Amino acid sequence: MGNNILEVKNLKVSFRTQAGTLKAVRDISFDLKRGKTMAIVGESGSGKSVTAKAILGILAGNTIIEGGEILYDGKDLLKITEEDFHNIRGDKISMIFQDPLSSLDPIVKIGRQITEAMLLKSGTNRREAKKEFNGRLATLKKEMIEAQGKEHETEIKGMVKVFDKFCIEANHLEAAYNNAYTNAADLLSYTEDFLFKLDKKQRLDVKGLLRDYRKRLGKIKDPFLTKGFDSRIEDVAAGLSKAALGYNAKQNELTEVTAAMKDLEALLNEITTQQRPNFFRIGFYKLYDPNANLDLPNAELDEVALKVLNENFMDRFFALTKEGVTYSYRQALERKKAIMPKLSEARAFFSTDFSKAEANKLCKSLSTEIEASIDQLEYIKDSTAYTFRSSLSNAIEKYFFYLKRNPKEEARFERQTKRREALIARGKTVTWKVVPKVVYEKDELRANILKIIDRMEEHYGAYIAADSSIDFEQRSVALIDHFKEKASEVVYRVTKSMAKEKAIKLMEEVGIHEPRLRYNQYPFEFSGGMRQRIVIAIALAANPDILICDEPTTALDVTIQSQILELINKLKEERGLSIIFITHDLGVVANMADDIAVMYAGKIVEYGTADDIFYDPRHPYTWALLSSMPDLDTKDKLDAIPGTPPNMIYPPKGDAFAARNKYALKIDYEEHPPFFKVSDTHYAATWLLHPDAPKVEVPKAITDRIRRMNEKLEGGAKDV
Amino acid sequence: MSEQQEVLLRVENLCQYFGPTKAVDNVSFDIKKGEVFGLVGESGCGKTTTGRSIIKIYDITSGSIYFKGQRICAGTKSYRDAIKEAKKEKRTCKDDKRIAELNEIIADNQAEIKKAKFDHKHSDHEYAKRLVAETKEKYAKKLEQATSETETKALQKEMKDALRVAKKTKLITKIQMIFQDPIASLDPRMTVREIISEGLVINGIKDKEYIDKRVYEMLELVGLVREHAGRYPHEFSGGQRQRIGIARSVVMEPELLIADEPISALDVSIQAQVINLLNELRERLGLTILFIAHDLSVVKYFSGRIGVMYYGNMVELAETEELFAHPMHPYTRSLLSAIPLPDPRTEKQRVRIIYNPLASHDYSVDKPSMREILPGHFVRCNDAEEQQYKKELGL
Repeated sequence: MGNNILEVKNLKVSFRTQAGTLKAVRDISFDLKRGKTMAIVGESGSGKSVTAKAILGILAGNTIIEGGEILYDGKDLLKITEEDFHNIRGDKISMIFQDPLSSLDPIVKIGRQITEAMLLKSGTNRREAKKEFNGRLATLKKEMIEAQGKEHETEIKGMVKVFDKFCIEANHLEAAYNNAYTNAADLLSYTEDFLFKLDKKQRLDVKGLLRDYRKRLGKIKDPFLTKGFDSRIEDVAAGLSKAALGYNAKQNELTEVTAAMKDLEALLNEITTQQRPNFFRIGFYKLYDPNANLDLPNAELDEVALKVLNENFMDRFFALTKEGVTYSYRQALERKKAIMPKLSEARAFFSTDFSKAEANKLCKSLSTEIEASIDQLEYIKDSTAYTFRSSLSNAIEKYFFYLKRNPKEEARFERQTKRREALIARGKTVTWKVVPKVVYEKDELRANILKIIDRMEEHYGAYIAADSSIDFEQRSVALIDHFKEKASEVVYRVTKSMAKEKAIKLMEEVGIHEPRLRYNQYPFEFSGGMRQRIVIAIALAANPDILICDEPTTALDVTIQSQILELINKLKEERGLSIIFITHDLGVVANMADDIAVMYAGKIVEYGTADDIFYDPRHPYTWALLSSMPDLDTKDKLDAIPGTPPNMIYPPKGDAFAARNKYALKIDYEEHPPFFKVSDTHYAATWLLHPDAPKVEVPKAITDRIRRMNEKLEGGAKDV
Repeated sequence: MSEQQEVLLRVENLCQYFGPTKAVDNVSFDIKKGEVFGLVGESGCGKTTTGRSIIKIYDITSGSIYFKGQRICAGTKSYRDAIKEAKKEKRTCKDDKRIAELNEIIADNQAEIKKAKFDHKHSDHEYAKRLVAETKEKYAKKLEQATSETETKALQKEMKDALRVAKKTKLITKIQMIFQDPIASLDPRMTVREIISEGLVINGIKDKEYIDKRVYEMLELVGLVREHAGRYPHEFSGGQRQRIGIARSVVMEPELLIADEPISALDVSIQAQVINLLNELRERLGLTILFIAHDLSVVKYFSGRIGVMYYGNMVELAETEELFAHPMHPYTRSLLSAIPLPDPRTEKQRVRIIYNPLASHDYSVDKPSMREILPGHFVRCNDAEEQQYKKELGL
C-alpha cells in the first residue's frame, strides 16, 4: 500500500497502419516503486517507448488503446482528459527523449526552454499545493471534532487556525533563508574556483570579478543566516573593494587580492556550515510571543522555541491529530469491511447475464460506497479505490458496446471477404485488403469486469489484514510532515531571476561548461551530446515525481554517459525521484536499475530485481541479450541473436521469440507461455521453467561471466 | 612480433585545422598489416576527422600519411610556418652566414611544399605508374620464356588487359570506409546491385556478368542472398543495411577498412551480428581495420592495439591488454573507469575518476610529447610525468 507510485495493469496498445493493426504492446503489467528505478530492456520495436509514451499520454493519433490501466496518484492516466494531463505532464511525470534534435525548439534560446516549465508551473503548483493543504487540513479538523465530540469544537478550530498560520509563516522565513543560503553557497563555489584559477596562474578579469563578488556578498543577508556575522561581512566587503581598487592589471600583483578572497572563503565557509535553524518551531514562537527574542544564537533559539511550541501547542495538537487519524482510519476500515460482502455479491451478479440499467445502477452504488470508504487522511492516494468508478463503468460500457457491435463487425467482415473472393474468382486483380475484424468475446469482456472487482476485493482484503500492524504515531508524524511540505510549496514562488539561476545550476550539473554564456544560445550552436544534456536539464527543471528516460545516453560517449547517470542517480536520492529507464545497454541498466523488465515483441518476458536478471537469468531472450554484447573479458565469438524481431502486424502464434530461439520447444510455437515464478521478485515467461520441460544448459558465455562477477566480488571483499 | 609485421598505414604528425579549431593536432601512429587498430575518445575529440583525413575526404593541414609506402596525403602548413619563421629572422639578422643558412632553409621548405603538393595530388597516378612498370617487368620475363607463337600472343593479350587495369588502379580505393549511419549512407534511389557495383563501374569494369558475379559473391559474403540485389535500401532492416554498406566497401578488395562507429546506430542483437561479420571478413580476406568507436567493451573485444584521443591529441597508444592493464594517462584512466559493465553489484560501487586537464597537468613550462614508457606503450607526457609513470610501474 502506498509503495507503488505508478502501476501499469494489463496495458494493450496497438496502432492502425495501412498494412493492418500493429500490436505494439500486448498485455503488460508492472509497478514502479516509490524512489526506485525500473528499467525496461529490449530491442527496438519491442514496445518500450510505446509504454513510456502511453504513461505520458503522448501517443500518436493512430493509436488504439485496447485496454488496461495506468494508475497514478488516484487517477487512471488512460482515462483522464487532456486538461488534467497538462497538470501531470512535465510537472509530475517528465521525460527525457531519445532524440535531442527533435525535442528542442530550434528558434528559442535554450535558457528560455529550460526555465519555461519552472515559470509556467510556478503559479499552478502553488494553487494546487494551497488546495491540497487547505482541503486536507479541513478534513483533519472534521475528523478531530468527530473523534473528540462537539464540546471540543472551539478548541480544535482555534488550534487548526493557529497551525495553518504559523506553518505558512515559518515557510516564509525559511524561503528567505534558503534563498540567502543558496546565494552564499554559490558565492563560495565561485570563490573556490577563483582561488584555484589564481593558483594555476590563469589570467582572470580580477577587477570585474572582485566587484561582482562584493555585490553578491550583499545578497546573502538574512536575519538567521548571517546572525552575528554582520560586522565581519562589512569588513570582508571593504577588503574586497580595497583589493579591487588597488589592483593593477599591468603589474598583476595578487597578494592583496588573494588575501581578500581567502577572507571571503573563510567567512562563507563558516556561514554555510552553521546549524540550520528549525523554522517550524521559530514560526510558532514568533507568532505566540510577540516579544520573542529572535536574536539568540540559532542553536539556543531552537531549544527555546521547541519548548514554547511543545508546551503551548504541539503536544496537545499532536495528541488530537493522532486521535483524529485513528478515528478516521477505524471509520474507513469499518466501511471497508462492510463493502467486502457487497463486492462478492457484485461478482456473482456480473458472472451471470445482466441488463445494462441494472449493471449501471450497481456500479454507481458500489462506487459511491467505495469512495466513501477511502480514508481521507491518507495523503498517499489509494489509486485502486480512486479509479474504481472509472474502471468499472468503462468496462461495463465496453461490454455492452461490443455485445452490440460484434455481430455487425462479423457481418461486415464476411461481406467484404465474400466480395473480395468473388472478384478474385472472376479473375480480377484486387488491390484492396479486407480490414481485419475487431471482435471481443463475451467471456473476455466479462472477465475484464470481474478482474476489476477481484482486484478491489484483494486490495481491501490486504488492507483489512494489515489492520493490527498500523503505527498511528508514525502516521500522524507523516501527516504533519506532509502539511509542512505542502506549506513550503505554497510559499515557494519562482521568479525569473531565480529560474535563471536554477537553470544555470542545472546546466552546470549536467556538464555544460560556461553555462552563463551558453544560456543565451540557440540549440543549433550545441553539439549532439550537449543538446542531449540540455534535454535532460529541461526534464529535471520542473522537479518531477517520476522521470521517464527513453535511451537518454545512447548518443553520448562513456565519460559523459556515466556523468549523466551519476547525476540522475544523485537526483533520485535527493528528491526521491522514481525513474523508468528505457535502454538496450545492459551495462547502463546494471548501474541504474533496482527492478528490470525485459520486453520482447510487446510482452514482458522476464521480470525481476537487477540481481535476479544479471545473476540468475531464466528466459532465453535474456540470455541472448546478455551474451550478445562483449564485456571487458570476452574473448570468444559473440552469440549473436539470429534474424530480426517479428512483424507485429502479424504477431506469431505462441512465443514470439521462438523463431530466433535455439532452445525453442514444440509448445513454444503453439501456446504463449504464462509467467512462471522463480522467486517472490522474479518471474519469467518461458516454457523451459515448466516442470515437464527438458533441462537446458545456460549458455557458457553467461555462466562464465557470472562466475567471474562472483570471483571479482569476493576478491573485492577481501581487498576491503 | 610487431617488429616483423609490415606497416600498412603510417600517419605522421597529422594536423587538421578547420579555421581556428584544431580538430586533429599532431597525431602520429601506424597500422600494421592485418591488425585491428581501435581509436577511442569522446565525441568531438577528432577520431572521425582522423579517419576522414586518411581517406582524403578532407585536405589535411599539415603532416603526411603513407599508405603501402606511398605518400597519399601531405599538408604544407609546417613548411609554410618554417618559411615564415626564417623570413622573419632574416629581416632582423645581420650575420651573413646565418642569412645564407636561412636562405637554404627557405629553399628546402619550398621544395618540400612542392613535393608535398605533388604527392597529394598525384599519389594515385604515381602508384599506377609503379604498378604499370611492375606489370611490364613481370610480363617481359614471361614473354622471354614463351616458346610458341600462340603462347606469346596469348600472353601479350593478357598483358594488355593487365596493363589497362593497372593504369586505372587508384591507390585510394584500397582504403574503404564504413559509415556510422546505414540509413543516411545508402542512396535511396539505387538498388543494392547498383550500390555495391558502383565502385567497380567507376573503376572502368564494363563486363556485366563479372559485375553480377562480384555482387552476388559480396552479398553472400556478408550474409545476404542473391535475391536482395534487386531491392532498394528502404526494404531492409538496420542490420541488413549496414551489411550492404560493408559489402559496398569490401567489393573493392580494400586492404584497409576504416570503420567509423559501424555499430553505434544498430540494435543490440544486430550489433553482435555485425561485429561477428567484421571479424569473419578480417580473417577471410586478411583485412586491416581502423576501428573508430566510443564503446570501449567492443573496442577491447575487437582490436589489437588502441589509440586514445583527447581534444585532437593522441594521449595514449598501446596494445589492448597492456592499455587495460596499465592505463597511464589520467584521461585513459577516467575513460576506463566510466565503462558500464553488466554487473549490478560492482556497478553500484563503481567510482568514476574525473579528468580535469587543468588540475592533472602542468604544461606551462615543460611541454608534453608522445613518449614510449614501455615497449609499444606510448603516452603523451612531459619529463616529470614520464618519471612518475615509470616510477609507478617500478622501472
